[in-house]
Parts: sequence; C-alpha cells; structure tokens
Amino acid sequence: MKIIYLAIGASVLILTVWNLWTEKDWRKQATAAMVAVPLLLRVLLIK
Amino acid sequence: MPFEFILFIAMVGVFAACAFAIKLPVSLSMLAASLTGLLLSGNGLGIRHLVEGTFGYVDTILVIATAMVFMRAVQESGALDALNVVIIKRFRTMPAVLLPLLMLVAMFPGMITGSSSASVLTAGAVVAPVLIILGLPVESAGAFIAMAGILGMIAPPVNIPAMIIGGGIDMPFVGFELPLLLLTMPLAIVFSLTLGLKHIKKVSWEELAPRLDLETYKRFGPRLFAPILVVAILMVLGKTVPQYFGMGLPLVFIIGAALACFAGKRFNPLKAAKSAVADALPVLGILAGVGMFIQVMTLTGVRGFIVVSALSVPPALLYAAIAITIPMFGAVSSFGASSVLGVPFLLALLGKNQIITAAALSLIASLGDFMPPTALSAIFAAQIVGVQKYSRVLKRLIIPSFVIIAWSLAFIIYSKQIAALY
Amino acid sequence: MKKHQTSAAIISVLTLAACAVASATFLEHRKVEPIVSGPGVSEIAKLSKWYPGLAGTPADTDVYILRGKAPGASMLVLGGTHPNEPSGFLSAVLLIENAVPVSGTLYVIPRANNSGFSHNDPQEGAPTGYHFTLPDGQARFFRYGSRATNPVDQWPDPDVYIHAASGQALSGNETRNLNRGYPGRTDGTLTEKACYGITQLIRAEKISISIDLHEASPEYPVINAIVAHERAMPVASQVVLGLEFSDIKIGLEPSPKNLRGLTHRELGDATDTLAVLMETANASQGRLRGRTDEALVLTGIDPYYVKAQKLGRLYVPYDEKGHPIEERVGRHLTAIVEFALAMSSEYPDSPLEFQGVPEYQALAERGVGAFLRTAP
Repeated sequence: MKIIYLAIGASVLILTVWNLWTEKDWRKQATAAMVAVPLLLRVLLIK
Repeated sequence: MPFEFILFIAMVGVFAACAFAIKLPVSLSMLAASLTGLLLSGNGLGIRHLVEGTFGYVDTILVIATAMVFMRAVQESGALDALNVVIIKRFRTMPAVLLPLLMLVAMFPGMITGSSSASVLTAGAVVAPVLIILGLPVESAGAFIAMAGILGMIAPPVNIPAMIIGGGIDMPFVGFELPLLLLTMPLAIVFSLTLGLKHIKKVSWEELAPRLDLETYKRFGPRLFAPILVVAILMVLGKTVPQYFGMGLPLVFIIGAALACFAGKRFNPLKAAKSAVADALPVLGILAGVGMFIQVMTLTGVRGFIVVSALSVPPALLYAAIAITIPMFGAVSSFGASSVLGVPFLLALLGKNQIITAAALSLIASLGDFMPPTALSAIFAAQIVGVQKYSRVLKRLIIPSFVIIAWSLAFIIYSKQIAALY
Repeated sequence: MKKHQTSAAIISVLTLAACAVASATFLEHRKVEPIVSGPGVSEIAKLSKWYPGLAGTPADTDVYILRGKAPGASMLVLGGTHPNEPSGFLSAVLLIENAVPVSGTLYVIPRANNSGFSHNDPQEGAPTGYHFTLPDGQARFFRYGSRATNPVDQWPDPDVYIHAASGQALSGNETRNLNRGYPGRTDGTLTEKACYGITQLIRAEKISISIDLHEASPEYPVINAIVAHERAMPVASQVVLGLEFSDIKIGLEPSPKNLRGLTHRELGDATDTLAVLMETANASQGRLRGRTDEALVLTGIDPYYVKAQKLGRLYVPYDEKGHPIEERVGRHLTAIVEFALAMSSEYPDSPLEFQGVPEYQALAERGVGAFLRTAP
C-alpha cells in the first residue's frame, strides 16, 4: 500500500510541478511550489 | 499586553495586508504571516517549521487532489451532464423535489472529499447552469452551489473539521455519520427551497431540451454512472469492512478516475488531470499555508494565547464566543478555525455529548468558507456563475449563515436530548 | 526563456533550497543519541531477538538487560512509548546509566517506539531535542520525538484504525500509536510488529511486572497517575501508599476494560505480567501551552498553564514553578523503586531490589545532568 501511495504522491507532485512551469502568474506558481514541498519530501521518504 | 498578543496582531495584520492590499493569494499571505511570526519571535526564517507545518495536511492534499481528478474525469466523460438530464427530466414538474436533489448532487463531491471547493468547482459547475436554466438569478445560483459546498463539506462520510476537532481530544471520527446527517440534511432541503423555489419558472421540456446535453446519455446509457457507483461502493465498503477495503480515499478516487476514462466520452486523461490539479492548487496551497500558520502559532505561543483567551470567556458568553470567533477565524481557514478554536471550545463543553458538539462546531467552522477575504466557497461559486464581485453572491448567504449558527448552537445546547433520539 | 519560465525557475530554485534546508534537519533527527551503559548493564540485546521479524526495520530497538547477583523477579520498563513525552525516556536512560540490581532482573527499553524518535509531529512546533550539562562540562543531547511512528516508516494511515484483537475502531492516525497496537501481530503494521516483539519478550522472559512510562498534557484527566491492570492493583496500591510517604501524590486508576490496545490492558490480558502505566505532567505536549521550546520541555514553566489552572481547566496543580523534568523523572524513578519494594513484599520468594537509582530529592537538587555519564 505504501508503494501505491508513494506513486499517487509522485503523480500529484508531477502534475503540480507541471502546472508550476506552465502557469503564467508567478503567484500561482508560488502556490504550486508550496504544495510541491510536502509531496516532494514525502515521495523522497525524508519526512 | 502579552507578547503573544502582539505577535498575533502582527501575523494577522501581515496576512490582511497581503491578502487585501497587495492582493496576494491566501496561500502566499499565510506564508508571509508565518514568516512574520517566525522573525518577530526570534526564530529566524524557521524553514524547518514552515516545511514541517505543511505535513499536517499532506494526506488531505492527496485526498483533495485525487478527488478533483476523479470529478474532472467524471465530468469529461459526460456523466455529470447526463445525471442532470436524468434528474431534470424526471423531476422538472416537481421543483420542491428537484431543488433538494440538485442540492444533493452539488453536495456530493464535498461529502466525499471534505472540501467545499471540490464541490463548488465540480458538481457545482454542472448544477449552476441547470439552476440558471430553471430561472434562478445568477447570484442565487451562486449562493446555492456555495451553500452546497459547505453543507457537503460537513455532511458525512468525510468531515475534515470534525476530524480535526475530535483529534484534539483523542476522540476517533467514529459515530459521526448520523449526527452530521441530522445537522446538514434538513438545512440542505430548507436552503435549496428558500434560495430557489420562488425563482423557478414552469418551463416545458421542449424549451429545456435544446439547452441540455441529451446526446451523451443516449449514447452511453447508464454505464456512464459506473465510475460514480464504483467509488460510492468502495467508499461504503471502506467504512463498513475497513479490514478488507480500507484502501483510503486517494486510491478509491484514482480507480474511479481510471474507470471514467472508459465509461463515456473520450478525453485526454493527462490534460484533464493536470487541469484538475490546477483547479485544486489554490485550495491545496491554502492547506499548506494554514499548516505553516498553525505550526508558527504553536511554536510562538500564539495558539496558547488564543486558546486560553477563548477559555477565559465567562460561561454565559461561551455560546456567543463560539458563534463569533469560529466563523471570524474561519476567514483564515475553516480547518484552521477547527484546530485552533474548535478543540478548546469542545474542551470547554465537556458536559455535552461530545460527538454532537464536535459535529455542530464543525458546521459553524465551515462558515469560514463564506468569510472574506478567503471566502473560498463563495469566490469559486461567483467564478462559476460568472459574477464579477463575489459579494453579490455573499449577500444571499448572510441570512442562511445566521440560521446555520443558530441551528448548530441548538444542537450543542440540546446535544444530550438529540443523542437520546438515536 | 519566457518571463513566466524565468519566474518558475526562480521559484523552483528557492523551493528546492528550502527543501534542502529542512531536509537537513529532518535527516539529522534520525541520528541516534548515545546511551552509556552503567555498572548494572549485563547485556544489550535487540528486540528482534524475541521477534526476528523486526530485524533490520526501523522498529527494532535496544533492550538493556541489568541482571542482579541474586535471583528474583523481573521488571520491564518501557520508556519512549511516546517519544514526545520525555520524562519516560529519560527515566529509562537514568536507570540504564545508574541502576544496579541486587536481586532480580531489570529489562529497560528506552526507545519502545524507536521510529517515533526520528521525527516531530507537524504543527506542534516542537524542538528537535534538549540538552543537559554534565558536571564535567559535556553536554548530552536527546531527541524530542513524536507521539507516533514516523510516516516515512509506515504510511498511509487508514481512515479508521481497527484494533486487530478486538475490532475496536479509532481514528486512522492511531495506527501509528504504539500504545494502541498491543498485543501486536506478525502480519500487521510496523507498529503492531513492535508491539508483538515487546509482548514476546514479556512471554519469553516471564517478566513479572511491566511498567510503561508516559506523560500527559496538564488538561488531560489521567495525569500524575498509575493506571493498573486488575491483577496489578494490589501491588500498585502499595506503591501509591509508599509514594505518599515520600510526599508524592499519585492517583490510581483501574485499566478500563473497553479501551483496547494499551499496555495496561493488553499486556495484562495476553501475558502473565502485571501491567501498569504511569503519567507525569508535560506542558510541552499540551494544547494550552505558550511558546514551545527546549526550556518548556525541561521546566514546564508556562504562563498560559498558570492562567488555565486559575480557570479550573487543569487536572494537576500548576504555578509559576512549572513541572521541571527533574520532578517528572523523579516521580517515575521513585515509583519504579517503590514497585520493586512492593513486588518483594507481595512475592517474597522472588525479590526485586535495585541500588543506585537517582532519588527524587537528589534529582531536584543536582539536576538530571548530574546522573548522566560522559558519552564517548
């Protein structure tokens, strides 16, 4: 189950970062970055 | 004057300045307010605390993100349009039944995700045009789906504010289903009628038909609803036999989204998923921001200051304090209000039935989603019905909000009698 | 590069930098602090000795065995069931570094939930650890952990946690709470496996009495108390009286029959051990606390708890002096010695006697640091 959830987390992370790079407004980019932080550290099994 | 009070004012001030004056999104305003708290309290940039705070909602972020992907997939497959056709066709001559049904449809995503925004942005986006076709002014249609958002967020099976409040006193989120249904469903019926009934025009089917998407249902039939059905079944199984089906909502939603790719109209799943996450990002960002904000409030002692101040209110004024402070704090976030104020108020109400009291407090906390400047539910609803100023939608929600507060307080006051009913 | 790509690049770099800074702290938190074996320690084993399924997992943890010269009863002390309750862990450390059993055997697991020591709970703003200065000037650092297993080791939580043995439902995050997983099982979560390992140790070593050390927030009703399984009641009652003689007031509560998965219920039911749990008052885990830092962990001095006490919201006395760690550790250690005495008087054929355990008064006067050994 852990692996499945890591995969789900990684997918949401990828979609979030994709949005960060295609989004035109820096404020929305920064919001995406805030969301990416916990996802990234969880997917990397750091936190 | 305690230093924590000064910190609190500074944090709220920076938040307000960023959100109102500089017009930053709520997420970034939260980040700025958290940084202010860290710097003023001598904790430096406190990067570790900012990052750690967001982890309070990492599971919630996954639930909302996957739910949005699922709802988008269902929408793209044509299932939501078809559902509306089925509802309107069958119930159009009975508005007193139709309106509550539409309310229920609009509430559904909120019920399963625990997020009002999920409701408003998905099912709300489908229901609103139908309401307008049926004759509701845009503001009322907006208020209708905004209300569906917060009622859906509170209705079972998923109610995040109640989980947050219960978690604060080691109370499991078990046995909440019935009290939450009792709290929300009567309101859903009443508000759907008060917001809609007087506007509904008698329209003939011939007049309505060209404005609805009849094709999809004709082409695919009931199999369109398979993903919704499967998700509903998995959720029920997850609740009733968690030993075998406790796979968690994110996985359930991913399964549902995958099914939706094959159930109806074809669409590009990647693009749909990306835009679904884009729609969810403001809410997810707020969650991350609230996480930071709460971590910094706890670290600096502002949380203790607020909690002990709320507990210092004389008992006679306790209900007034609940009615005023929780929705006000909800301007920051309804989840934040649940955690910071919901828990101590529940502790102050230890003599009451704890489950019903926590459920009622969560309903009051949900009003935070109507409270400017964040007003998530109202802002998204205004966007969907195409109203420039969300205050026009908000005006229609003032009286219902007072009704919600009164209704919730009644539940708290009579919690034991209500618990005895079931 | 387009303008929005430039901003995306800047934001990405800043975000990655923040992640790197935070990650350094998070990874540092996994570094295990040394515990120095005192003269009483005869053997250090791993919990996986009793349940090999734990070997190599983050739940495998050190078991310190202190054997007395004379035979007698055996006692298991669990510190760090909840790594955010430092007096339990520190009491275990002081036993390892100071106690010398005269008769009987003492088993100490200082980090019962080993994984829980490797992280902090989100939104609690807790310090990563706390320091003591030793008489020789050395500083010893100990980690302040989380109430639960690290999600990195066990994730995701189910929506509802079902206690395997009873079917009792609790909120999902309790899945990672060691003190809800007993007696544990081999095909369960990492936390349940740790529980199983501890239960197996108790069975295999025929542990006479098991003491699970905890702290509670001052607004929580079960505090400064012993919670005892019904078979442990006679011994626990003697301890309450014994502590009264030392001017330590402590409550005695029967282990609730319907609250499942906790040591004082399950270990008592599943094994022959006498199971008890003890609580002291820890402001740094409470919800009414003000500024959260190392000082709060060590002193318990908090203006908001003083105010809450005046409002009648607390279950322990609270004044400007707080509840210092010396007092909390002193309560636990004094009670442990009293338990040994009570066991010896209740079962004279298998005595249990320890020497060298820091006394309440000495701790208050000289501080915890005076009883810690210099780490290599």
